[in-house]
Amino acid sequence: MNLPDEGILRRLIAFFAALGIGIAAYIAIAEAGGDAPACIVGSGGCKTVAESSYSHLAGVNIAVFGVVGYALLLASSFFANDAARFGGFLISLSGFGYSVFLTYLEIFKIEAICQWCVGSAIVMTILLLLNATRLIGYAGEEEGLSRAG
Amino acid sequence: MRADPERRARLLQMAAGAGFLALAIVLVLIVVNASSGGSGGDTKLEGVVEVDRLLEGIPQQQLVLGETEAPVELFEYGDLQCPVCKGYAEEILPPIIEGMVRQGKVKLAFRNLTIIGEESVAAGAAVLAAGEQGRGWNYLELFYRNQGQENSGYVDDQFLEAIAKRAGVENLAEWNRDRRALIPQVEADTEEARRLGYDATPSFAINTIKGFESIGTPQTTGALEDAISEAAARAAP
Repeated sequence: MNLPDEGILRRLIAFFAALGIGIAAYIAIAEAGGDAPACIVGSGGCKTVAESSYSHLAGVNIAVFGVVGYALLLASSFFANDAARFGGFLISLSGFGYSVFLTYLEIFKIEAICQWCVGSAIVMTILLLLNATRLIGYAGEEEGLSRAG
Repeated sequence: MRADPERRARLLQMAAGAGFLALAIVLVLIVVNASSGGSGGDTKLEGVVEVDRLLEGIPQQQLVLGETEAPVELFEYGDLQCPVCKGYAEEILPPIIEGMVRQGKVKLAFRNLTIIGEESVAAGAAVLAAGEQGRGWNYLELFYRNQGQENSGYVDDQFLEAIAKRAGVENLAEWNRDRRALIPQVEADTEEARRLGYDATPSFAINTIKGFESIGTPQTTGALEDAISEAAARAAP
């Protein structure tokens, strides 16, 4: 199978990780300021989700974990070695799994949808696909054999 | 170019294992969560209308119910998990709230004395946080009317949030932040109550300009009213 060059995958991972940092940081900053993230089409879903107990884990807003996860994914795109490939895959897999769980909570427990959370879940899904492709295509290659991003 | 096929095979095996593990964890999380009941907003609560009616129109400041100028302050040292306190909230105190508190003769102050367990501390912090938004007594009364088995795990985020919503706490995000921050306050209040000699709930005390006086645990509404009236008479100029 003809996979994209690892350099292209790394650039795409960097782009989507930066996008994810933006989304998660916005949610975290809005919540820290005492407000809910503004829903673009005006529904109250973001406020309901932000005010639910599920928005925090061990007292920390889950968006903060999102910022950290995306930042690690961004960092993984800077290196062309197996640690970065496997680490990136594991982080995006964890992020994707947690996004699935949060989407379940939004639909069935909180009964409200936050567009920013959905946006983050989509970005994390894309990142998982990119990191999985990168790992499958380039695992085992020595550092520097693939073109740097 | 494949530099190390063995390493590649090992990494891909580990990745597949991680994938299965992640899938299993997500499924377990969903199953556990689904079996824990509905959302906070869906939790069926008893006594919502009754509590609203009881407290309607009575001023509240933090956990003090009644007019600030009331000459007598009746302190209740309680634990939200305590079944006897629940009995007082449902049977003994309502006539006093409807009468002497509403008339401005006495104000009621709740103090946490958490003696039953960790869930009491979480509940105590939740009621303090509701008090920050002027809904402390609504929270307290509604909690007692929906009290579960002591330390059975029912005092979880979902339950506490359901009470907050129905008690009229407007800013749930702020309430969530406050209740986490107010845990040390619950512990300090309990420590203070113990220092004053209280070790059982509910315990009552009366504060007037003449001073602070412990009155133990009067068994009836009438006995509490008598204690309040006597204290008011002593405090009168």
